[in-house]
Amino acid sequence: MTETAVTLSQFFAGAREGRLTGVRCAGCGALAIPPKEFCPACGRRGWEVVTLSGEGTIASFTVIRVPPRAFAGEAPYAIAAVTLREGVSILGRVVDIPLDALVVGLPVRFRPLASKDQTSLGFGPA
Amino acid sequence: MRRVAVIGVGVTKFGLHDRTSAELFADAAGDALTDAGIAASAVQALYYGNVVGGETEHQLHTGPQAASVLGIPSVPTTRFETACASSHAAFRHAVMEIAAGVSDVILVGGAERVLNVSTAESTEYFAYASDAVWEQPLGLTFPGVFALIARAHMEKYGTTEAQMAAVAVKNHRHGALNPKAQFQKQITIDQVLRSAYVADPLKLLDCCPFSDGGAAVVLASEEVARRHRKPVWVLASAAASDWMLLGDKRDLARVPATERAAAAAYRQAGLGPTDVDVVELHDCFTIAEIVATEGLGLFEPGAGGVAAENGWTSLGGKVPVNPSGGLKAKGHPIGATGAAQVAEIVTQLRGEAERRQVDGAKVGLAHTLGGNTATVLVSLFGRD
Repeated sequence: MTETAVTLSQFFAGAREGRLTGVRCAGCGALAIPPKEFCPACGRRGWEVVTLSGEGTIASFTVIRVPPRAFAGEAPYAIAAVTLREGVSILGRVVDIPLDALVVGLPVRFRPLASKDQTSLGFGPA
Repeated sequence: MRRVAVIGVGVTKFGLHDRTSAELFADAAGDALTDAGIAASAVQALYYGNVVGGETEHQLHTGPQAASVLGIPSVPTTRFETACASSHAAFRHAVMEIAAGVSDVILVGGAERVLNVSTAESTEYFAYASDAVWEQPLGLTFPGVFALIARAHMEKYGTTEAQMAAVAVKNHRHGALNPKAQFQKQITIDQVLRSAYVADPLKLLDCCPFSDGGAAVVLASEEVARRHRKPVWVLASAAASDWMLLGDKRDLARVPATERAAAAAYRQAGLGPTDVDVVELHDCFTIAEIVATEGLGLFEPGAGGVAAENGWTSLGGKVPVNPSGGLKAKGHPIGATGAAQVAEIVTQLRGEAERRQVDGAKVGLAHTLGGNTATVLVSLFGRD
């Protein structure tokens, strides 16, 4: 298997439907999200697509109060680094959790953040 | 490989300027060439750092533009872009070109202009150094990147907001001794702690400012350097990279690229952290200085906050860090920063840093971090 296991557009199409897609190395079993061309653990170029649980805990978080221009109307908002149950981690926007309730270790669950032309990753209450 | 020396340095004042980045660079480069006592016509290449010229000045191709404004249009010129580490990356490649025997005299530097646009705009442009698919769409900012690192460091090691504030207070105290610094005013722990949150737990006074400015250094082969005053030798210049996505980093409380670049630089120079007398490092945020002092091996992982609080990194302390005032007080014109840090170390090793001089400094280290910690450069310097 040498073709790209999952393209970005496939990933975000899945995310829009609530599926968080990862890839598992056919050689050593290492898991990656987002997908990479080569396995950073063993160097092999061959992946299997896997659907992740979407469950995880907050490893770190921040509340953005001075946003980039395009997000001017949204601040304050929180961004968290989330360690997924499967062991990999990824950043997402925190949704539907009060800012003062955020703590490291808080259980969260994947939520797609879909706008007209873009889907990004969010995490809400577990 | 041939030995390489820095024979001239020049830095503009950092802060608000009604001048283009090319003008700012040419000003610094003119001072560096004068300092070196060498004619502009002796320069064989220009390695140039500039980051957001396309956004703030509608200018790409900034290398040849800078060379033209300087009046040396025919030298081979390359622009480097590794976010905030751009001119340090340029420096490392110039060192390699001279060490390899390709050139004898290279001008290295950089410049940035951002204060001609609003804070909201520059916040957006700086965020372009984070991943456009995965992290920019979340509304992540640069203070946000380092806030995530700060929270992880606080959680893992018990680092406090007061310890981070101690870094800002120390760097402002140093900056008050530097006539080129953007902020030459002391601040208190209380002022830092009471300043408004930008990205929790980082507050306004934990953050370096947006700045305009230019910096340049003249590099020469040993043969050329011997004919000039006070050469400062490049003992090592190393680079390391790391995952672009913060989510791919397994431990947000550490910066592996700093650890790898430092290890490579110490190995090249045959030195270790205890040999270093003076350090200029990348304190874009107070937490960045804390994690850098740990990554460079100056203190154990987790001990950087305590070190700052105890004054170990102050002028007169165990290992003075950022005598220039650092990015925090001196300012951070991102394309110029790496070259400016090198210029400060050279000035320190020459014994010409006046009121901010680290007495008897013989070995200096410059550390520059690019963007979201995906790029780090570390260079070591020594004198005869």
